[in-house]
Amino acid sequence: MKIEKEVEDAILKCAQCFYCRVCPAFTVIKWESVSPRGKLYALRGIKNGVIKLDQELVEDFFRCTTCGACEEVCQTSLNLVDLWEKVRNDLVKDGKAPLVHHKRIRDLAEKFDNPYGEPREKREEWIRGFKYRDSGDTIYFAGCTASFRAPEIAKSTVNLFNKAGLEVAYLGRYEYCCGSPFLRTGQRDIAYEFFKKNIEEWRKRGVKRIITSCAGCYRTLLLDYPKIAKELGYEWNFEVLHSSQVLNKLIKEGKISPRKLDATVTYHDPCHLGRHAKVYEEPREVIRAMGANLVEMERNRGDSFCCGSGGGVKSQFKDLALSMGKIRINEARETGAEYLISCCPFCKYHMKDAAKAEGIEIKVVDLVEVLDELVE
Amino acid sequence: MSSAEIPFSESPIQRYLYSHDVSNAPLIGLFLKMPDAVYQPRNEQEVLEILKIAKERKTPVIPRGAGTSGYGGVLPTKGGIIIDFTRMDAFEVDEDKMLIECEPGAVWWDIEKKLNKKGLSLRVYPSSALSSTVAGWIAQDGYGYGSLKYGGIRDNVVKLRIVDFNGVREVEGEELKKYVGMEGTTGLIVRAWIKVKKQEDMRYYAFFVSPNEAEKLVYSGDHYTAFFLDSGYIKLKNMAFGTNMPEKDTLMIATTQRLEGDESIGEEIWNGRFYPLRIKKLGPSLVEAENILPSNKIEEYITLLKNKIKSPNGSEVCYIKDRRGAVLTFILSDERKKIAYPLTWRYSLKAVKIAKRMGGVSYSTGLFLSHESKTLLGKDYSEILAFKKKVDPNSLLNPGKVFPEGIIPFFIRLAGLIA
Repeated sequence: MKIEKEVEDAILKCAQCFYCRVCPAFTVIKWESVSPRGKLYALRGIKNGVIKLDQELVEDFFRCTTCGACEEVCQTSLNLVDLWEKVRNDLVKDGKAPLVHHKRIRDLAEKFDNPYGEPREKREEWIRGFKYRDSGDTIYFAGCTASFRAPEIAKSTVNLFNKAGLEVAYLGRYEYCCGSPFLRTGQRDIAYEFFKKNIEEWRKRGVKRIITSCAGCYRTLLLDYPKIAKELGYEWNFEVLHSSQVLNKLIKEGKISPRKLDATVTYHDPCHLGRHAKVYEEPREVIRAMGANLVEMERNRGDSFCCGSGGGVKSQFKDLALSMGKIRINEARETGAEYLISCCPFCKYHMKDAAKAEGIEIKVVDLVEVLDELVE
Repeated sequence: MSSAEIPFSESPIQRYLYSHDVSNAPLIGLFLKMPDAVYQPRNEQEVLEILKIAKERKTPVIPRGAGTSGYGGVLPTKGGIIIDFTRMDAFEVDEDKMLIECEPGAVWWDIEKKLNKKGLSLRVYPSSALSSTVAGWIAQDGYGYGSLKYGGIRDNVVKLRIVDFNGVREVEGEELKKYVGMEGTTGLIVRAWIKVKKQEDMRYYAFFVSPNEAEKLVYSGDHYTAFFLDSGYIKLKNMAFGTNMPEKDTLMIATTQRLEGDESIGEEIWNGRFYPLRIKKLGPSLVEAENILPSNKIEEYITLLKNKIKSPNGSEVCYIKDRRGAVLTFILSDERKKIAYPLTWRYSLKAVKIAKRMGGVSYSTGLFLSHESKTLLGKDYSEILAFKKKVDPNSLLNPGKVFPEGIIPFFIRLAGLIA
């Protein structure tokens, strides 16, 4: 494996302080080869010819959810999420990856334009019953997970926009996967293809602003797409917003007024929305606007513990993902809250699974679902 | 070499990953030997089982906390078994006795957070508290935040539970000296009882003063902790943090008393206290020299050292209650420079020499400075060495650490002579 300069710089700068022990994968597995420090030291060993890359280590590089907890604590401020994605991409280029389930979702996405292998026309099923335009300067980007697996999130989002009188267009079957699962798992080439399909469609339809309710799509559109655009020579002039930001603004403007939610609520920061995009307060402001009693988990905002479903971990390492989810759901249980609210379909479904596995009774819901019920 | 129940690995990658600390001493790798296995015991019984295996096979055992020290204390010199205490990280708070009872792998900051919820706090903790472990710091005999008022960890350990080839024993009082700072060479710490205090409303003040003026301020009141950052360190800190602190010699005092210092900068320094290594990104390598000096010699020591060091550098002083200070000097370097890097390392050896001339000692010994143990331990050295020989006649407990053994002390001494 060739160690490129960007990786070598990180190897040299790593202080080996092990503050990155906060890594959810290390928390569960407890062997350093999955920890950020361990992976950087392993890369040092490979570079110096002291150890050889084996399949177990390749898999360890993919046991990371790319949650970014390591970046928050890194003494030398290394851009570790970008680094892990780069190393994964290098492993794919070297033929050591993708891992079997990551390859499977790629095969499906190549055929169906989504990683779930669902027919393209099914993407727009959830919007039946809503009146919508298929072009305009502001669009709702539902994302694959809400479209195919969590339609209640997409429906609630659009319901709320309608109640607020906010006109948003929707592209239906001409919305494509954002590419996030492939950027996270080192399969950048196919993500670039989705980028091209999406941006060309947006241009054709006069899009200027994209609102999404998926934290994964939001991170990808907000942070990855401008870089890809630059790399591929595209002009990037789109505003990207998360639904929580838009809804918070609509509440402040008095366009929607939720009834009181007489309950204790805790909020889970999705890694892609929180640590990656620094959107911490808007979802909390919406919860407060509902009049709910918001109690924080011990680890919140930048310290939040990943639910375990990101970075391709849930598809490839189900047990590991569930173990992380169990840790997080128990942190939610400790607050005594009746509701665990998040802003990401992945987080919602994974923490629901974890709650079931742990026998914990807590309502795991997306922010838009609760708000929609409270707004006339 | 396996025990069916205890988590372990013989993979070359794990063995490699558990054979380093934060140091990156030039050429030292030539004298080390990869361990045969890494074990992660979950309880005392499993530690005993591992020692049984080691005794039968006459193979060394190297205890390991988080590997956050830089004296080579966790480096395997003769191969053997690494005992990683990650899975033994439980702790309990005894509010009545104002103690915490901890397993060896408990992390200082996890303990502090739990204590704070009960209105309590650690009396002392290391600057690496976010990851470093209880037994690791005890085995190194460290000083840190709180040492101005409460001394080192040595002064705050009430009792230790130890595992060696003869079984389990609990020690307290005078006998603790046989284990504190001994890097596991006389027995492995499997439980520790440590004093805690009531949480206090602390204020943080900065003063722009020289080390000599700082000394007067530090010992003029009953303060909790104090550390001094020289202008060289502040300059590097500004570059690394992107901050804009006045690039002057600065003292920070954390205290319950009211003082006439700059609270804004005081708090800024306090809030960044766990990030002393952030400056490493400027290196990209960092060579460190750490010695304990009488507090009235610190200015002279820093000035002399600064005049000798050619690379960008900065010093930080952690004040200790008996009018001493642990002076940590960071020197930027680049390990890719095959000649300049070893030459920079000479400064850490030179610093020990200068410190000793001024009545100081090296901060710790570990592997790299094992030849300094006699000076550091003074009159206790012979007694502890005799004890070591009694409990570990084949020198299987972390060989080469604290008590010089093999070629490494010779090599380091040689390098020291050149320095």
